[in-house]
Amino acid sequence: MKKECIAMLLAGGQGSRLYALTDRAAKPIVPFGGKYRIIDFPLSNCANSGIDVVGVLTQYQPLLLNSYIGSGQPWDLDSLKGGVYILPPYQSAGGKGGWFSGTANAVYRNMDFADMWDPDYVLILSGDHIYKMNYAEMLAAHKDSGADCTIAVIRVPKEEASRFGIMSTGEDGFVSEFAEKPKKPKSDLASMGIYIFSWKKLREYLLRDEANPKSDKDFGKNIIPLMLAEGEKLLPFPFGGYWRDVGTLDSLWEANMDLLDPNLIDLFDVNWPIRSRSPIKPPQYLGQNAKLKHNIITEGCELEGTVESSVLSNSVTVAEGALVSHSVLMPGCVIEKGARVEYSVIGENAIIGKNARVGSPPKPGEKPLLTTCGPDSVVEAGEIIPAGTMLYYDRRAI
Amino acid sequence: MLDLFGLIYAYHSYPALNELVIHRTSASLPFCSRYRLIDFAISSMTNAGVRDVGIVMQKNYQSLLNHLEGGKDWDLDRGNGGLTMMPPYGTNNSDKGQYRGSMESLSSVRSYIENIRQNHVVLFRGDLAVNLDLVKIYEQHIASGAEITAVCTQDAPDSDTIRFLPDEDGKFASKMHLRHSSIAKGLCSIEVYIIDRMRLLEMIDWCQANARIHFHQDALARYLRRGGKVGIYIHEGYVSRISSVLSYYKSNLDMLNFENRDQLFPDDQPVYTKGRSSVSTYYDENASVTNSLIADGCKISGEVENCVIFRGVKIKKGAKLSNCIIMADTIVSEDAELTCVISDKNVFFNRGVVLMGNSSLPLTVPKNMIV
Repeated sequence: MKKECIAMLLAGGQGSRLYALTDRAAKPIVPFGGKYRIIDFPLSNCANSGIDVVGVLTQYQPLLLNSYIGSGQPWDLDSLKGGVYILPPYQSAGGKGGWFSGTANAVYRNMDFADMWDPDYVLILSGDHIYKMNYAEMLAAHKDSGADCTIAVIRVPKEEASRFGIMSTGEDGFVSEFAEKPKKPKSDLASMGIYIFSWKKLREYLLRDEANPKSDKDFGKNIIPLMLAEGEKLLPFPFGGYWRDVGTLDSLWEANMDLLDPNLIDLFDVNWPIRSRSPIKPPQYLGQNAKLKHNIITEGCELEGTVESSVLSNSVTVAEGALVSHSVLMPGCVIEKGARVEYSVIGENAIIGKNARVGSPPKPGEKPLLTTCGPDSVVEAGEIIPAGTMLYYDRRAI
Repeated sequence: MLDLFGLIYAYHSYPALNELVIHRTSASLPFCSRYRLIDFAISSMTNAGVRDVGIVMQKNYQSLLNHLEGGKDWDLDRGNGGLTMMPPYGTNNSDKGQYRGSMESLSSVRSYIENIRQNHVVLFRGDLAVNLDLVKIYEQHIASGAEITAVCTQDAPDSDTIRFLPDEDGKFASKMHLRHSSIAKGLCSIEVYIIDRMRLLEMIDWCQANARIHFHQDALARYLRRGGKVGIYIHEGYVSRISSVLSYYKSNLDMLNFENRDQLFPDDQPVYTKGRSSVSTYYDENASVTNSLIADGCKISGEVENCVIFRGVKIKKGAKLSNCIIMADTIVSEDAELTCVISDKNVFFNRGVVLMGNSSLPLTVPKNMIV
């Protein structure tokens, strides 16, 4: 079946900078913003943009990710004319193949999948960004300009620019220079890691890059610089909306806290719904003595304690006398009586015992030092977990 | 897999529910922040592994059809079997108005029942808030050898209840008291029965031949008169039959109690409902909420106490709600004050509006109203 544009979503990375949160599950499946998993954002953006074929390239700890995506029904991607496809690494005849060795290699190895749809364009997405974006507009800009590749870009503060792929544009509006994570950035125009390629062109460069043994087989490090060097037309597509890379613990916590300010990103927008797979849970119950101030709360929660400036996923319990503030509580975690959880991220099904203390508020004027209790971790009654600790389910702590 | 077919009565629109059933049947009444009453009957069946379910409907069923669609959210969109809508077959009763009794409704869908592939049928009212373990009930039905098993409770769900007087062994009953009987003795029927399919067909045919229309006073009374016995299963958990505005109001508020909620929504027997993709609920700095059930997708800035709030509701700053049931997508503007109000879906309460009902006479605001 012929499609004008298909999406390939890179969801195989470990997300090692989330430590305990991705110890046993891939980064795109990490809970976010109460109702969501990170991957809901690119999947919903695809569905809302009219892109109905999405290949999800998985590698690291894919079980939960695979079962979450399922048939793609929550995102309306369970279509007869398209759908969402899980694309794991595989072995070919003669023992070739094996693990994906880089983002470009992952797409190279799934060229057959792309060819199946005979697409004119391929949209490359990451599974660790929080944003609402109409890819149809980006595709229109790509087609209008006659570019070979269009790169979504966002302006970033100068001091953060060295974390990104930074580009400069020439007088014709196309990219004139590109540097992946430069030590001395020449501009503040950062790549968001979202690309639209003309498929024929990308196919050609994937084959060439694959043949180069010195290549890291990465879009940002290899494919884009090579295309630029060869004089292909690379179009920057400026994005003015809210966009956060949530690949680190601080950025994940900050993006959750951003949701408490509805001016930053509006998730209530009926014209651009972010969809998710919902658990089967009764409504949230806010108890007789519950003291709640400025929160995001999800179904299945049973709250009797004090909760302030926090984001709660489904089925969280906060017992009487417990205090939760400036924290992210992931599905099913339990905060027992008298416990205090401050400036922390509590993973799925973690238990914080009676009168335990997890984390502490920052000193005035200082950046918060976040504390994390990974999924399934248990903090014993009365235990104190100092600010900055990273606790794993098996009691490893760093 | 149980050899059991699920048949749900969803044709009632009880007059005492007033405005709440203008546009819907009792079975499609919104309940407990995110459900419709029929979710309880269907979920009890799905959880027990009943895979063929028929919905007996007659009129006013648009909201029911919207809710159920193909049955996907209850895992009943099967290639083989699954959910069957049973509107009147067309040959009988087509101009007679509402079904007057459940046997009349069953006789109008007799052709469906004839083709059921299971040997036992569970008859389930669609207007019950109850979570039944149908596996247990079915196993008892089979073990007892009864042709009919009645699900009963010790306490009456409401005043107008069918009662069974159990025999000495407590396992069977051969006597029944009809509704409004002056004798308030015996076990209360919640009007959920497991019945052998052949017996059900025989009852339907006899009723049709003799112009009888009621299950209890006609078919079941005859069965007992002729020496039949009804197996008794006693259900211990929460149960409520929603037949009036007041019972609707009280049953919703019952859910603020943890034990009731725990009995109706046990972890191992989840209640399924139509999915609605929504965001988590947002409470801003001014919101103050106690002892309330809140669905997802709401924005709350006001004060809420002892309320049941459905999906997509917005409660603006300075608004005060106590003891209210607020259905989906209703907006309560700044400084409005609502006490003991049942607001149907998509109502708009203007700034500063004050409405006050009473806990024994809650005020109902119909769908789509602007107040």
